[in-house]
Amino acid sequence: MKFYVCIKMVPDVYAPFQIKDGELIMDADRMVLNAYDASAVEEALVLSEKHGGEVEVVCIGSAKASETIRKALAMGADKGSHIVTTGDEGFDSGSYANILTAFLKDKEYDVLSLGKQSQDTDSGLTGSMVAELLHLPYTTNAVGLEIENGNLIVKRQGDTGQEIIELPTPCAVTCSNDMNEPRIPNLKGIMASKRKPIDTIDLASLGISESDLSPNSKVVSFEHKPARKAGQKFEGEADEIAREVAQLLDTEANVI
Amino acid sequence: MSSILTYIAISEGKIKRSSLEVLSRSKAIADANGLACEAIIIDENASSFTDSVQNYGASKIHIVEDSIFSQHRNTPLLSALSKVMEASKPKVVAFASTEGTKDILGALAANQKAGVVADVSSFDLTSSGVIAKRPVMAAKVVGNVEVTGETILVSVRSGSYELVESPITAEVNTIEFSSSESDLKAKLREIISATGDTIDLNEAETIVAAGRGVKDEEAKSLITELARVLNAGIGASRALTEAGVYDPSLQIGQTGKVVSPQLYIAVGISGAIQHVAGMANSKVIVAINKDADAPIFEVADYGIVGDLYKVLPPFIEELKKLKS
Ligand SMILES: Cc1cc2nc3c(=O)[nH]c(=O)nc-3n(C[C@H](O)[C@H](O)[C@H](O)COP(=O)(O)OP(=O)(O)OC[C@H]3O[C@@H](n4cnc5c(N)ncnc54)[C@H](O)[C@@H]3O)c2cc1C
Ligand SMILES: Nc1ncnc2c1ncn2[C@@H]1O[C@H](COP(=O)(O)O)[C@@H](O)[C@H]1O
Repeated sequence: MKFYVCIKMVPDVYAPFQIKDGELIMDADRMVLNAYDASAVEEALVLSEKHGGEVEVVCIGSAKASETIRKALAMGADKGSHIVTTGDEGFDSGSYANILTAFLKDKEYDVLSLGKQSQDTDSGLTGSMVAELLHLPYTTNAVGLEIENGNLIVKRQGDTGQEIIELPTPCAVTCSNDMNEPRIPNLKGIMASKRKPIDTIDLASLGISESDLSPNSKVVSFEHKPARKAGQKFEGEADEIAREVAQLLDTEANVI
Repeated sequence: MSSILTYIAISEGKIKRSSLEVLSRSKAIADANGLACEAIIIDENASSFTDSVQNYGASKIHIVEDSIFSQHRNTPLLSALSKVMEASKPKVVAFASTEGTKDILGALAANQKAGVVADVSSFDLTSSGVIAKRPVMAAKVVGNVEVTGETILVSVRSGSYELVESPITAEVNTIEFSSSESDLKAKLREIISATGDTIDLNEAETIVAAGRGVKDEEAKSLITELARVLNAGIGASRALTEAGVYDPSLQIGQTGKVVSPQLYIAVGISGAIQHVAGMANSKVIVAINKDADAPIFEVADYGIVGDLYKVLPPFIEELKKLKS
C-alpha cells in the first residue's frame, strides 16, 4: 500500500499570544506538526509496517515547514515533498485543497490521508475538498483504520455511533487524533531522517499561480473570546461546600 | 427571489434541534435582507418532518426521500444537496455543524465552487457575502471571517442561536432522487451505537462530564447517579474516552463535541484548553476537582475544591432534596 499523508505546520496553541488592533501576534517560531496529521502519519506507518508499503508525506508551507517534514520522516515516513510558498498568502482550506489536488492528480497511491482538521483553525474542510476534486471515495473523522483484501476499512466517529466503512483504493480519509498515540521520534529515527529525500516543489511547476488560489474566506480580525464573569471557589469541609453549591445552583443560578 | 437555504439534519428519526436553531437564524437573516427562507430535508421519511420545519418559518421545503438516507452516507447526500443547490441557486446554505455536515461540507463547496466557512458561532449577510465569527486557537481566540462567492456554505455550532418559532404554510417541493447502495463505492458495513438510551449531548440542558479523576466503578456510579438526579447527559474528557471508560461519542472538546448546556458539571477534569474549547459556552459551569490550581476553575462559575468521592454524595443528596 502506498500512502500519501498531507501534513501541515501549524502555530502551537500553547504559545503565548497578544491581540493588537485586531491582529493576532504570536511567536512565529513556535510551530508544530498538526496533531491530527501526526496521527495520520502514525496510522500509515503502522499499516505499512503490518502489510508492507510506503509512506510519503506532502506539506505546503514556507521554508520553515521543512522542519515539520523532517519530524514526519523521523517518525518513519520514507519520503517528503515540500511545496514551498512564502507563507503569508492568507490561503484558506480551498487554496490548500487546490494545491494538493494539482500535486496529487498524476500520482499513484492507494490511500490519501489527511488530518480531520487543522489544530489552529479547526476548519475541517481540506480533506473532503481534495477527495471531491480528485473524485476519490472518502470518509472523514476516522478513529481506526484497517486493511482487508486491498480495501481500507475505516471506523468513523459519526453522529449516532461508530460507522464501519469499506473504501476501495485509491481513496481518501481524514484522521482523528483519537486513532492512536503518535510515536515520538527516537535518536535513530532523527539520524535516519537526515538521509531521507525531500523534494522541493514550487507552485509554478505544478502549473498554478498564486492568483489562482485567492481564498474565498479571509480572517479580517481577531478578538478575545467573550469573557466569563469571575466565578466563586469553595474550599473547606466537603459536605458543607457540596451542599452550599447545590443550593446556590437552585437559588442563585436557577438551573436546577 | 434569492434565498437562504437551511439543511435540516435528521438523526435517528428526529430533527436535530441544532438545525432548527440555524433555521431560526436563517429566517431572521432572510427577513432582514428580503430573501426567501427555504429548507431542505434529506431522509428516508423526509416528508414527515415538513410540519415541524414550516413552524420555524421556511416558506419552501425541498424534500429528498429515499431509503439510502436511512443512515449517513456521504456520496448520495452530496448528490442530493448538489441537485437542490443547482435547481434553487441559493445565496447561502446554512447547516448545523454535525458530524454528518462535517463529512460533506468541503466536498460540497468544491463541487459547487461555493465559498465556505465551517463551525461558526454567529453569522450575518453583508453586501459582499457573509461575515462570521468562529473560535480558533483551541477556542482561545475568536476570528472574524469574511466569505465571498456566488453561493456561500455556512455551518453553525450547536447552541449558537435560540429557537424562534414563526409558523407559516410552506410550499413543498419534492425532488426526484434515487440511489442504490450497490452503486456506491464506499460501503457502510455497520454502525456501532453507544449502548443504552443516551441523551444527545448537543441537546442536553444539563451535562455531567467525567474526567480522569473518575477512576473506578464507585466514581462512575456516582456520575451515573448525579446525571440521573439532574436528568443530565453524560459526557467525558478524552482521558476517559481514550481509556475506554466511556463511549467515544461522549467526548467533549476540540476533537469531540462542542456543547453549550444550561448547566455543565465537570468532575475530575483538569481543564485542558482542548477540553475547555468544547464546553466554555455552557451557561453555568460547576467544577469539582481536588487540585485547587486546576485550570478548570478559571472557567467555573462554582468551583468545589475537594475529592469527588467526598463531594459527590452530599452534593447528590442535596440536589435530590431540591428536586423533590
Ligand atoms: C489536538 C488535541 C485535541 C484534543 N481534544 C480533546 C477533546 O476533544 N476533549 C478532551 O477532553 N481532551 C482533548 N485533548 C486532550 C487534552 O489535552 C487533555 O489531555 C485531556 O482533556 C485531559 O483529560 P482530564 O482532564 O480528564 O485528565 P487530567 O488532565 O489527567 O486531569 C484529571 C483531573 O482530575 C483531578 N482528580 C483526580 N482525582 C480526583 C478526585 N478523587 N477528586 C477530584 N478530582 C480529582 C486531578 O486533580 C486532575 O485535575 C486533546 C488534545 C489535543 C492535543
Ligand atoms: N498547507 C498544508 N500542507 C499539507 N496539508 C495540508 C495543508 N493544509 C491543510 N492540509 C491538510 O488538511 C487538513 C486540515 O484541513 P483544514 O482543517 O481544512 O485546514 C490537515 O490536517 C492536512 O492533512
